[in-house]
Amino acid sequence: MTTMNRNTCSPLVSDKHPVTTGANSSIRENVEEGGCGVLGIASSIPIQGRYLLQPLIQMHNRGNGKGGGIAAVGLSAKQLGVSERVLEEDYIMQVAYIDPKSRVEVESQFINSNLNVELAEKTATIENHRSIGLEVKPPEVWRYFVRAKEDKLRQFIEKNGYEGLKPETAEDEFIYRNSFALNKKYYASLGDKKAFVTSHGKNIIVFKIVGYAEQVLHYYQLEDLESHIWIGHQRYPTKGKIWHPGGSHPFIGLHDALVHNGDFANYHSITEYLRQRNISPLFLTDTEVAALYWDLLTRTYEYPLEYAIEAIAPTTERDFAMLPEDKKKIYKAIQATHIHCSPDGPWFFIIARNNPYRREFQLIGITDTSMLRPQVFSLQEGEAKIGFIASEKQAIDTMVQNLAKDDSRFYPMNDLYWYARGGSYTDGGAFVFTIDESKNLLCTDKFGKPISATNHQQHCKRISSHDMPRFPSIDEKLKDRPRGVDLFAYTAKNIEGWSFGEVCSFAETMREYAGKSDEEKSVVVETLTLLIDRRYDTGRKRRSDIVSLFEEKLFDVFNSTSSTESDTNGKYRLIKFEEKNRLKGPAHSNQTLVMDVSEFPPEGGEGTCQLLERACKLGWKNFVAYNFRGQRNFGAGLIARDRVRIDVYGRVGDCLAAFADGPEFYVHESAQDSVAYCFRSGKLVIFGDAGKAFEYGAKGGVTFILGDLIDRPLINSVGSATAVVNGSCKDYMGESCMAARGFTILNGVAFDDHGKMVEQETPYPGGNLFPLAAASAVYLRDPRETVGEDQLNGGKINTISKEDWEKILPLLKENEKLFGIGVEDLLKVDGVMRRPECVYRKVVPVEIAALTKYESGI
Amino acid sequence: MMQGELFKKPIVKPAPSQYPASIEKYEVIIERSKCSMCGKCAEVCPTCIGASAIDIEAYQKPDGYLRVAVPKISCTGISCQRCVHECPDDALSVKLSPQYIALGDARWTAELIMSTWEQAEAGRVSKKYEYRVGDSGGGFDKLRFDFELDDKEICDDDPSNNEDRDTSIVLNKRNDGRPEIRIPIPVYSADMSYGSISLNVMLARAKAAEAWNTFTSTGEGGYPDELIKYKDHVITQVATGHFGVNAETIKRAKIIVLKYAQGAKPGLGGHLLADKVTPDVAKIREVVPYISLFSPFPFHNVYSVEDHYRHVQLMEDVNPQALISVKVSTPVDVDMVAIGSYYAGTHILQIDGGYGGTGAAPDIAKKNIAMPIEYAIPIVHNYLVREGVRDQITIMASGGLRTAFDVAKAIALGADGAVIGTAELVAIGCKRCENCERGKGCPSGIATTDPALRYFIDVDWGSQRIINLYSSWKRQWSHILEKLGLDNIRKLRPNDEVKFKKGRFNHMVHLDHLK
Repeated sequence: MTTMNRNTCSPLVSDKHPVTTGANSSIRENVEEGGCGVLGIASSIPIQGRYLLQPLIQMHNRGNGKGGGIAAVGLSAKQLGVSERVLEEDYIMQVAYIDPKSRVEVESQFINSNLNVELAEKTATIENHRSIGLEVKPPEVWRYFVRAKEDKLRQFIEKNGYEGLKPETAEDEFIYRNSFALNKKYYASLGDKKAFVTSHGKNIIVFKIVGYAEQVLHYYQLEDLESHIWIGHQRYPTKGKIWHPGGSHPFIGLHDALVHNGDFANYHSITEYLRQRNISPLFLTDTEVAALYWDLLTRTYEYPLEYAIEAIAPTTERDFAMLPEDKKKIYKAIQATHIHCSPDGPWFFIIARNNPYRREFQLIGITDTSMLRPQVFSLQEGEAKIGFIASEKQAIDTMVQNLAKDDSRFYPMNDLYWYARGGSYTDGGAFVFTIDESKNLLCTDKFGKPISATNHQQHCKRISSHDMPRFPSIDEKLKDRPRGVDLFAYTAKNIEGWSFGEVCSFAETMREYAGKSDEEKSVVVETLTLLIDRRYDTGRKRRSDIVSLFEEKLFDVFNSTSSTESDTNGKYRLIKFEEKNRLKGPAHSNQTLVMDVSEFPPEGGEGTCQLLERACKLGWKNFVAYNFRGQRNFGAGLIARDRVRIDVYGRVGDCLAAFADGPEFYVHESAQDSVAYCFRSGKLVIFGDAGKAFEYGAKGGVTFILGDLIDRPLINSVGSATAVVNGSCKDYMGESCMAARGFTILNGVAFDDHGKMVEQETPYPGGNLFPLAAASAVYLRDPRETVGEDQLNGGKINTISKEDWEKILPLLKENEKLFGIGVEDLLKVDGVMRRPECVYRKVVPVEIAALTKYESGI
Repeated sequence: MMQGELFKKPIVKPAPSQYPASIEKYEVIIERSKCSMCGKCAEVCPTCIGASAIDIEAYQKPDGYLRVAVPKISCTGISCQRCVHECPDDALSVKLSPQYIALGDARWTAELIMSTWEQAEAGRVSKKYEYRVGDSGGGFDKLRFDFELDDKEICDDDPSNNEDRDTSIVLNKRNDGRPEIRIPIPVYSADMSYGSISLNVMLARAKAAEAWNTFTSTGEGGYPDELIKYKDHVITQVATGHFGVNAETIKRAKIIVLKYAQGAKPGLGGHLLADKVTPDVAKIREVVPYISLFSPFPFHNVYSVEDHYRHVQLMEDVNPQALISVKVSTPVDVDMVAIGSYYAGTHILQIDGGYGGTGAAPDIAKKNIAMPIEYAIPIVHNYLVREGVRDQITIMASGGLRTAFDVAKAIALGADGAVIGTAELVAIGCKRCENCERGKGCPSGIATTDPALRYFIDVDWGSQRIINLYSSWKRQWSHILEKLGLDNIRKLRPNDEVKFKKGRFNHMVHLDHLK
């Protein structure tokens, strides 16, 4: 813990005063909204900007094209045309000239006058902005590599009494104020904006426009630019016909850039707080004040990262009570000083920064304490180490797949995916990817606890078909024409001992075998699907490599299906986007419609939802939908009560099976947000995690989840809504649940690297378990009684009865069939079988005394 | 009613009150000790010709007071007083009746209530009751159309004086391939859930909506099967509790309303108190009877504008033909909400102001927050004009719009139309006693799901009452348009920003600014 130096800190704060008085700071101005899509990548080896294109495009519907921006930290000196020393020591000041004619004046006043310019150049752009669909011409951006002029800096230090500051701190502040003055004069104070500084830190650049984020990459020709850290932002502002690039994200401090999804309600109060510290915003958005606040905490106050995060996202309620005593003390002090500046409302920040004096780069994701915005974190540790943060998992997966295609140091699927629990004592609601001097990447949570995928396993490189060994035992096995389940069982048992080459050979053999006839194809589909879904010991080979390989082969098998337009009566028929309007009914009721959804738009009249609806009306009953790239609303509103089965593969987007009534969905992957929203009847099986607000308003049906739930599942669920969740749930579970004929089982288990079932620390770490519920029950597998009544709100925890066990056992048996999670294994605690009432506990609602009193007229 | 069929106005049929005794505004009191029973009062009374004015039996009652109140023929009141003047014994006096004094409040005055009853009964207004404004001291009650200041005699009840003008509005102005949906009157019927009101009331409103080729709404409590036959005229509401909302109820509707908030209780979701959650209500909502139902305030999957976009797009995917309406209350940044909804793909924005009603909220929450609707309308209208999108979205104002004149004023302030709640209930007999939230507490059998009380409202009678009310309102709108020299009601709505200048704006004046 660093001791804050009062002497150095307060002068910096109080001396901002002369610069900021008179800044255009009417807080009555309308604040633009910050609903959006965000993405961040930190990689131990530099990656090119082009890999951001696809994920940003796939998050278009989180923005509206009225604002987009990119930041990059950890650039290549060679690409920028400077020496390594200059890249390390100089500030890269990028000025966006909305009015190119103002440049001469700006340079004379703020650049050449105060700074030594090592290199000045206009950044490259394409010729015509309209050619990439931009309506507003982006500003001309000039890049200057600068240091403060010695004499100017000396004057600055003397005048302000900064002799006690480290010289780099003083120079940082000098640069900061210089930019502030430039922005004030050429942007904030003017009706017609002329110029503003997009970034001015060391080894960091920011570009932003009125347009989509990927258009930034295209316009400024950043596709080839390499960097260790990238962040991108798709903005959804709503106010004003005229949007300014200065209002787009990212916003900067000094050596950092921040993007934000959400908007907070207390913009005014934060502005007041900052003004008391002589800081005034200029760009009239709530994101800017967040960036200013972050800068204050980290650069001016020099708070260690953990305390800066605490100041922005305070730990409260039960989570505070669960902290160790020494943390409680310091957090209390931080909160006393800072809580009124904590942003209040839905928000998720991604910060990219350079810590030049500690010689490290960092990518940080922080979520608000109520977890109101979506966030996914992910990590891959192979030859290269790469960390991701994004609003949607599908964006991350697209990016990593594209990277792996081009660079064999990357693998097509990440090792870990997880979600932060905002303001928690468990992870602090924040994760940090740090790239140190030796370009090693380390992931930690707010408390510094490391997150790593490193274990006894290794990533394995794909083997080309020439080099693939034959696999005689498989060929033998196939001669017997085994069933899919048997082939799967055989593989799952033996794959631990296979080399990756043998696995590749197996996968290729499967692909060929599928081509023989429909029967073999069915077997292969079943086998590969089980291999993707289930957990088993993969030996020293990473599971992610194996699953991504099998998924690829499975998609190859689907791709080679004959089209619906051809004439045969085979079991499978393929339809792609181009042909969708020509879809006809099935030749017989056992036919399976194979839908390649990759080219479909994210939603709307041409989307996957409408196609599925139409296909059902035409009589199709069996579906395989594969190659999802984040498309939404698949299966939404589908009423199909007569044995319709839909298998989903790929990165399916939000609102899957929303309002569905009758079908059976099998999702061979994790699902995203708002899944099974108002699900009415039918079955939904997810071989992975499920995102936010799962089964919100559900009426019935049964759902099975192999992995975890994030937050807010089963709110206002009624009727017979029933869910079996094998993982844990983070927070806000089952609010106002009234499903008298349904219930939820939460097992709190996971799988280790050997594919063995293990207990998680607790099935439910959050507060707000089953609040305001009127009926139904949550059955927790919690033999160690980790869940306490302080986590409830109007409920109580009971032991289960014989009737309870008889009620839930059939579902646990179905759970076993689907996922291979044995009922016996669930009943084992530390290897010993226990009675069900010693393993499961039941959370039930109680009448809320206060409300009952009110209603009887007291 | 098929699209393209020529709309025929429903016929006004008399629908008298179900009560045998009516509430009268005036009563004549006879001091028994003075009265010589000469019968002169009955002779001279202009309304009592041919009927006995004196009820001898009542005269002999112990309290000595006699009411000269023959059913269906009521006392003209203080402006007449012939009986008083002609009484040789000086035994008579004319006073406001106690019921009249007790009835109503500053917003829904006794006059407005009784006028609404009169219009519901006969389909027209008479000079007897004030039918345009209440007495709240603000809001629409302080606004007058220009012509109202000139005319001493306002709307008469001679049908030959009123042309029937075009009072239709279009609900889908986005030109996006979805049905345009034109309704012949600029109103539709508000969202009231099964649970807050009875099934019979829902049916009465739906039948009236069908007759007028407009809409009513399911409210938050689900879509009773009995309503399906009116499905072309029933809006499905999707509220935060999603009670009874499923793919069928979404797909069958022509309009879907996403209720983000309600003016009467912004910041709160529905709160249906336990005694109103009867087994029937519980069944349709699939919940446990007699336990209070809480709907969350926000949609738990909509916390940001791009979530709202996703939400609207989801509804459009489930029902590609339906129009999407978004119902919001009136916070300070209601304009931001409006533009966000527009970009999300919404067709109709319903702004629900603070005077709105609710049958499902505890007392402390009712009406104590949210901006009054008369402020919110021009704020939203002006903002959308500046953004250049005003003519692509329909704004419906709601929250305590009581009369045809309120609706017209709302349109003159910038709305396209209005959503009517309480006025319909008053039309079928609501006396505004404000006991709506307690299940057995509605003495009119309206805001109740009590299995016996619900039959108090007969569906056919109830629908005719509402049909009559809207007939009367249409005549008044035609009258207003005639006076203002406008062809149709869409021209009453300003095209440009509404500007308030020296107390005047867009055909209206604010009384406080008159010198």
